[in-house]
Amino acid sequence: MMKVLEGSQAVAEAVRLARVKVVSAYPITPQTHIVEELARYCAEGSLDGRFICVESEHSAMASVIGSAAGGVRSFTASSSHGLAYMHEMLHWAAGARLPIVMVDVNRALGPGWNLWMDQSDSLSQRDTGWMQFYCADGQEALDTTLQAFRLAEMVHLPAMVNLDAFFLSHTYEPVEVPDAQTVDAFLPPYEPPFKMDQGHPLGLCGVAPPGVYMEMRRNMQMAMDSVPDLLDQIEDDFFIRFGRRYGSLETYRCADADVVVVTTGTASGTARVAVDQLREQGEKAGLLRLRLFRPFPSRAVRQALEKIEKAAVLDRNCSFGSGGIFANELKAALHGKGGTAVYSYISGLGGRDITVDLIKELYTKTRDADRPDSESVWLGLKEELMLR
Amino acid sequence: MREAAKRIIPVPLLMSNAFAPTTSNKTGHWSPSQPRYQNKTAPCSVHCPCGQDIPRVELLAARRRFRDAWRLLLSENPFPGVCGRVCFHPCERGCNRGLFDAPVSIHALERFLDDEAWNNGYEMETPAVSSSGKRIAVIGSGPAGLAAAYFFSRLGHACDVFEVESHAGGLLRYGIPSYRLPLLALEREIKRIESLGVRIFCSYRVDADFLSQARQSYDALFIGCGNGRSKRLGIPGEELAVDGLCFLKQSMQNGSKSLEKAAGPLASPSTAAVIGGGNSAMDVARSLLRLGISPLIVYRRRAEDMPAFSDEIRRASAEGVQFIELSAPLSITAGQSGLTLRIQRMRTDGLGPDGRMRVAPIPGDTDLLQIDQIYAAIGADAAEPWMMPPPTADRLLLYHSVSLLNSEKTLPTVYGGDLVNAEESVADAIASGKEAAIVLDAYFKGGSACVAPAVERCRIGSGQGLSMELYMHGPRGQRSGRVVEFADLNAAYFDHSQAGRGEVIPPALSIGSFAEIEKTLDREEAVRQAERCFQCGLCNDCDNCRTFCPEVAVLIKADKGLQPDSAAAGWQRWIDADFCKGCGICVTECPRCAMVLEEPPI
Repeated sequence: MMKVLEGSQAVAEAVRLARVKVVSAYPITPQTHIVEELARYCAEGSLDGRFICVESEHSAMASVIGSAAGGVRSFTASSSHGLAYMHEMLHWAAGARLPIVMVDVNRALGPGWNLWMDQSDSLSQRDTGWMQFYCADGQEALDTTLQAFRLAEMVHLPAMVNLDAFFLSHTYEPVEVPDAQTVDAFLPPYEPPFKMDQGHPLGLCGVAPPGVYMEMRRNMQMAMDSVPDLLDQIEDDFFIRFGRRYGSLETYRCADADVVVVTTGTASGTARVAVDQLREQGEKAGLLRLRLFRPFPSRAVRQALEKIEKAAVLDRNCSFGSGGIFANELKAALHGKGGTAVYSYISGLGGRDITVDLIKELYTKTRDADRPDSESVWLGLKEELMLR
Repeated sequence: MREAAKRIIPVPLLMSNAFAPTTSNKTGHWSPSQPRYQNKTAPCSVHCPCGQDIPRVELLAARRRFRDAWRLLLSENPFPGVCGRVCFHPCERGCNRGLFDAPVSIHALERFLDDEAWNNGYEMETPAVSSSGKRIAVIGSGPAGLAAAYFFSRLGHACDVFEVESHAGGLLRYGIPSYRLPLLALEREIKRIESLGVRIFCSYRVDADFLSQARQSYDALFIGCGNGRSKRLGIPGEELAVDGLCFLKQSMQNGSKSLEKAAGPLASPSTAAVIGGGNSAMDVARSLLRLGISPLIVYRRRAEDMPAFSDEIRRASAEGVQFIELSAPLSITAGQSGLTLRIQRMRTDGLGPDGRMRVAPIPGDTDLLQIDQIYAAIGADAAEPWMMPPPTADRLLLYHSVSLLNSEKTLPTVYGGDLVNAEESVADAIASGKEAAIVLDAYFKGGSACVAPAVERCRIGSGQGLSMELYMHGPRGQRSGRVVEFADLNAAYFDHSQAGRGEVIPPALSIGSFAEIEKTLDREEAVRQAERCFQCGLCNDCDNCRTFCPEVAVLIKADKGLQPDSAAAGWQRWIDADFCKGCGICVTECPRCAMVLEEPPI
């Protein structure tokens, strides 16, 4: 059924359709609408699950670790400082190989206090062993949440689905909400390979001495390696049932492009308009939107950029002392392949708008450059503030 | 695409999972400290002169174990029905719930339990003690004497009570009007005491000769005669005033129908002045109201300085008794149309050394009151000298509410009740009787050196109240004497609720008769009120400790044979030291401070 929903509501609908048994979360702007909606579902009974109120995000993650270890489908959501507060438990969830799905609404970290869109929070959790998706619109948020459960339960790793603060979490769009029966066929009940069970006591996640720890970590990496192919399989099934697929990345007008703009999240819609306008002006512009960040879809990226001369990456994040994180990942993926030069740009931090003109500026700078700068180029800065 | 869907992609899953519990890893040795179950002392029971085990009484009542609750009351006080009506309930002043919303209705619940026992024919439990062969004479059958006799009997001593009046009860019968304490409620309690084998000889005048001859028949004496003789006003014309105590006594003897006669020489006075500010003054005034007379209480200090209990003053005022404060009587003269009371107006004169506001006459400021009748109720003294302990006796041992005369010339004699007690109240008189029983029993067993340690052992926390259960080595002795304060509780676990009292007949109706003005709680309300008790310091099986223990180190087993104090409803809990890491969450989450966290000795 087509509904006009906030991105947050689209996520909540997906969680309800996934028949999640335990939700535990602590509210934080801009994630709050998601958990308010889920709390209401649990209270009214439209979701046959338990909403566990906790005093912190650390406990929220600990709670869903407990419930997932008990063998039931579990969900949480957070943002910014809340996600940072979960950090220790994120490692725990991944190390315990628990298929928890979390939605993170990308928000900047303070100080200075900022409630708005920025990818620093989720990218700070890059190495915790969680899969990471970045969504472009409300429909994709709903679909990715459903796919994330199936994928997580196949590879026994937790999945984080990221939504841009406000641009996606608080924006109403038409969203096709699938019927429960079809979703049930796509996403059958979770069958854990092992679980906490009072009738059959077992110790989970005990001491792993040097003799086994490394193999366990190698196992996690192998599970990550299996994700691109499994995601393909899952999307095949998803496409048959729902008629939509996204892939680990999306390309637009790239076939003959000289410069491909690389984006994530909602900035991709803006970039698409910019690419169209540039094409009308005779420019050979293309767009690559990354959807999957962990595992990094290196193979797909290499394929997509095989014949592309210049990739201009727009990062809404900064690894201080290094630069745009997506650009660095892209460089690593393309390393040794020669062909594509990666241009790194940073903009849109802390909720600053990314406009069509800014994308065009990024394109033009890249087109006109002989070779990339050694450091990321910051776009859209207010020079009068920089003088201080 | 179809083919890809069929391809099986292996996902490795090497985990450090052991198909055995982690119990082999005894983490308890990390612990720097250890929690322990430790019941403590509730402040209400410290404030109760009789040392009642109030948190346990309310726990049993809340679980509808009314008979057990009533028996528990009886183990510390033979008069729950009387105290549930006339006690000024200092327990409620000590109740921690008073700092949360309103104190638990301990007083009304005591009354309810006694009414419930009466309505259902519950029988008293008597401790299995063998006869000591000792015989004790008790002089006076007021609350002190009867309580002493009751506890003497329960300790195995034979007891004879001698009462000068025609019926037993003393002040309870002759001093408290029936609208506060109906005769039936008193008589059933006296019967219960007699059922222990106590013999009460009424209309028996004890004198000094009796005391000197008692040695032949008795091993010890208890003298608790109370304040039988009213204090004199000491003003010209005082003989024109009616003695308030006599008035109350006659009104009880005659019954309300012939009360006009008791009211005094005037056939039908319509106005009366009552001089005094104690409970007796209130009783006289309120009895007069019920006879259709408008009473006026004349008191030399301020109303807030009156020794009467505040409830009594409030109710007297609500019923229409008028108060004239800061007015001392100067003289009474008789005239054609009644009496004239000349009063001296007083003013406050700063706090005295006892903390009480002093008063001084305002020079020249006197007034005349025209009145039909005047009643004197300014207190009372011992009727005869032998009722008091000899002031110079060198072998007199003083305790809180009794004095033991341990002289070779006379029988061991304990003086108790109002005559030796600093506090004059029914509950304090009963407490005095109990202390007398403990003192004499300890004296019989080990001589005077044993008495003080025995009394100390029975003390409830920091208070003066003594517990017979402690004297009898009951399970209550396992409790720590530490008194639980409000700050010790985890009040997050309590909801606010309304305190409830028995329904009170409105003043407009109550002054029409001598019928009891307060009704008993109905059963459901009583349970609700008992449930309000925090059970300060007493485990009531709420199970928070076990629920919150992150280490599952709180173990529990059903044990129906347990003493009530070990676990309230027959559960035994203990800490599994093999796994307890000493985090103290159980102690923090205990709502009622029934646990303690300790650092074990190294």
